[in-house]
Amino acid sequence: MDRLQQLSGQLSPSSKQSLLQKNPDDVVIVAAYRTALTKGGRGKFKDVGSDYLLTELLKGFIKKTGVDVNLIEDVACGNVLNRAAGAFEHRGASLAAGIPYTSGFIALNRQCSSGLMAISEIANKIKAGEIDCGIAAGSESMSINYGPNSLPNLTPALQDNPEMQKCLIPMGITNENVVKKYNISRQKQDEFAANSYNKAERAVSSGAFKDEIIPIETIIAEEDDDDNIVYRKEIVDTDEGPRKGVTAQSLAKLKPAFAADGTTHAGNASQITDGAAVVLLMRRSLAEAKGYPIEGKFVLCSAVGVPPEIMGVGPAVAIPTVLKKAGLTVSDIDVFEINEAFAGQCLYSAEACNIPLDRLNINGGAIALGHPLGTTGARQYATILRLLKKGEFGLTSMCIGTGMGAASILVKE
Amino acid sequence: MLPFRTRGYNGYGVQYSPYFDNKLAVATAANYGLVGNGRLFILNIEPNGTIVEQTSWETQDGLFDLAWSEVHENQVTAASGDGSIKLFDLTVGQFPVMNWKEHTREVFSVNWNLVDKTNFISASWDGSMKVWSPQRPDSLLTLSHAQDFTTKSSPVESTARPPLSHQQQHQQSQHVNTANCIYNATFSPHSPSTVVSVNGSSHVQIWDIRAPRPLQIDYVAHGGLEALSCDWNKYKPTIIASAGTDKSVRIWDLRMITKIDQPHAHAPMPAYHIRGPTPLNELLGHQFAVRKVQWSPHDGQELISTSYDMSVRVWRDESNERARFLNMKNGGCKGVMGQHKEFVIGCDYSLWGEPGWVASTGWDEMVYVWDSKRLQ
Repeated sequence: MDRLQQLSGQLSPSSKQSLLQKNPDDVVIVAAYRTALTKGGRGKFKDVGSDYLLTELLKGFIKKTGVDVNLIEDVACGNVLNRAAGAFEHRGASLAAGIPYTSGFIALNRQCSSGLMAISEIANKIKAGEIDCGIAAGSESMSINYGPNSLPNLTPALQDNPEMQKCLIPMGITNENVVKKYNISRQKQDEFAANSYNKAERAVSSGAFKDEIIPIETIIAEEDDDDNIVYRKEIVDTDEGPRKGVTAQSLAKLKPAFAADGTTHAGNASQITDGAAVVLLMRRSLAEAKGYPIEGKFVLCSAVGVPPEIMGVGPAVAIPTVLKKAGLTVSDIDVFEINEAFAGQCLYSAEACNIPLDRLNINGGAIALGHPLGTTGARQYATILRLLKKGEFGLTSMCIGTGMGAASILVKE
Repeated sequence: MLPFRTRGYNGYGVQYSPYFDNKLAVATAANYGLVGNGRLFILNIEPNGTIVEQTSWETQDGLFDLAWSEVHENQVTAASGDGSIKLFDLTVGQFPVMNWKEHTREVFSVNWNLVDKTNFISASWDGSMKVWSPQRPDSLLTLSHAQDFTTKSSPVESTARPPLSHQQQHQQSQHVNTANCIYNATFSPHSPSTVVSVNGSSHVQIWDIRAPRPLQIDYVAHGGLEALSCDWNKYKPTIIASAGTDKSVRIWDLRMITKIDQPHAHAPMPAYHIRGPTPLNELLGHQFAVRKVQWSPHDGQELISTSYDMSVRVWRDESNERARFLNMKNGGCKGVMGQHKEFVIGCDYSLWGEPGWVASTGWDEMVYVWDSKRLQ
């Protein structure tokens, strides 16, 4: 009954209807894939860099989607730990993967949201009419680049500035600040973390990630019997992070990692991980004209600032912001992917926004799968597109070191 | 406060006769206008303060609006849910004297031209508006956003808005589409050829029915949410009010809508564009969508609005379009009429007697005649 629906639309107005409309100038997601996520320092990607991961993934991506590489007008790649966010080696990686030199390249670093910022960058360029087709990616090798080298260089005169100091607080301590401020018990955090492990383990064993992972070949350096280093090649197609049989009780035995009286430990924080993810975005009119399948529609992305010392609350601010700007409410969103930098901050953010936990990180999050910093934002797109049904809304979000939060909305088609 | 019950019929529109100070017409629909008959009531306000029914006509489908003829004291037009527009004569019982059937969906508004007086305009969910003469069997003109009014070779107007996808599977929507629904169209009281209309995609549009390309101004007025009603200020020719599902009543000065705010043939407004220009004033207070807004015929700064929150609000708009820095802060809501027990849909200011008298009607089957200056 049209008149009744018209009336109910007037009584509880939402932008849902207009966002579901398909317009030729929409930004659409044609494909989103990722590599398997492997353990930092000892996983199967430990001997290859972020440039290698990006090249191999892009090669597989181009083959799998059959996209005409000459259409790609720009490539944006998020990365946190490489020098200059990988501006040199990732441009090289994109060329090595077969993307022609006529396409541009931009390296992006907004800490843990870099992968999402790459998506936002390409989407906004399409919206503004600068380009019609672009690739957004994230690539990170924490095996190679994580460590003392990633600390910032400060001018001594500024070193003691209190605001500067806030931005240097280790992430684990910021999470201790969040859980202390908002009273999140260790018990609750451990239950959340165990739940993440169980969901991810179930997803791995049921093959739920098969569709979103493009298997790539890695090179592993090994010592043979004579202590010579030999290089072995191997195809990697399975996430290494999830483990079986994790319970809140087993996590309860772990010692806190950042403060003696703290609650954050290796089992309820995100893992150190290597991996890459790639998202192909186009204007709808181009995708339709060229006959590419449309996986989803990009709606909006917002990044906001929060106090650096409790940076983990970023999603709690970014999610309401992006929802308000899009004219939606939490109840309009069917699946949430909020990065689990730490169980405490993720749980707080979800509860602050009244997000039902059964719609959050359905296949597990960074606690189980790992958090390759610059990759995560793009990795979430590969995951969430497989979790949404046609016509459903998805939201991805993460907290950002130095005090920010980012969130984005997409529609599955 | 004088009451009348339209028993069995839920009120949608009410209007004072322009010829008799004691006559009201009320457009109603059975079953809340969702399905079933309609009825047009002619009511007389008696000297002793009672309201009595003079006559009424039953129609096949619900009636959503009405307009008294400005040239014939006994005639009134009504907009029907089946897409027809009917002209009734108070001296002719039972059936309408004219029936026009051109719209293909619900007609939500009819409005008589106050200057020219020989024609009236209708607005429909089929996305078009039509101008009619009571003497003619067919419409004089059709106005529609998607239509090109100039030449067949250069579809200027249709490129101003990106067409929907040409792929079949992309056209199906699980939601009812009201984007093209025109909820209200009103002739300017200052010009015989100028019309303002509002639609379900939040646009306010100004039309000149003399022009080969009638659409003059087009902008997003309510942040992407549906715009449901609009009215011309009776004293200031460039000032209009619009209301919508964003619960706000907004006052606009049409001279301040720049070209940047509007779609252009060569740079169409992007589909995701939901932010429009800044209104001269915004009146907030309704708890649900505002269904109708109307300026006072006696005071260029006063207006009333009806809402799904079951109230009629009386507003004072102190904004000064000549000097915004002189805007007084003492405007705003001047009264709330809370007598209705259901959605209030229609309202009208009386042109007669002491200024400020208002008639309102709604889903509670009630018509109330009340003085907007004596609300507590």
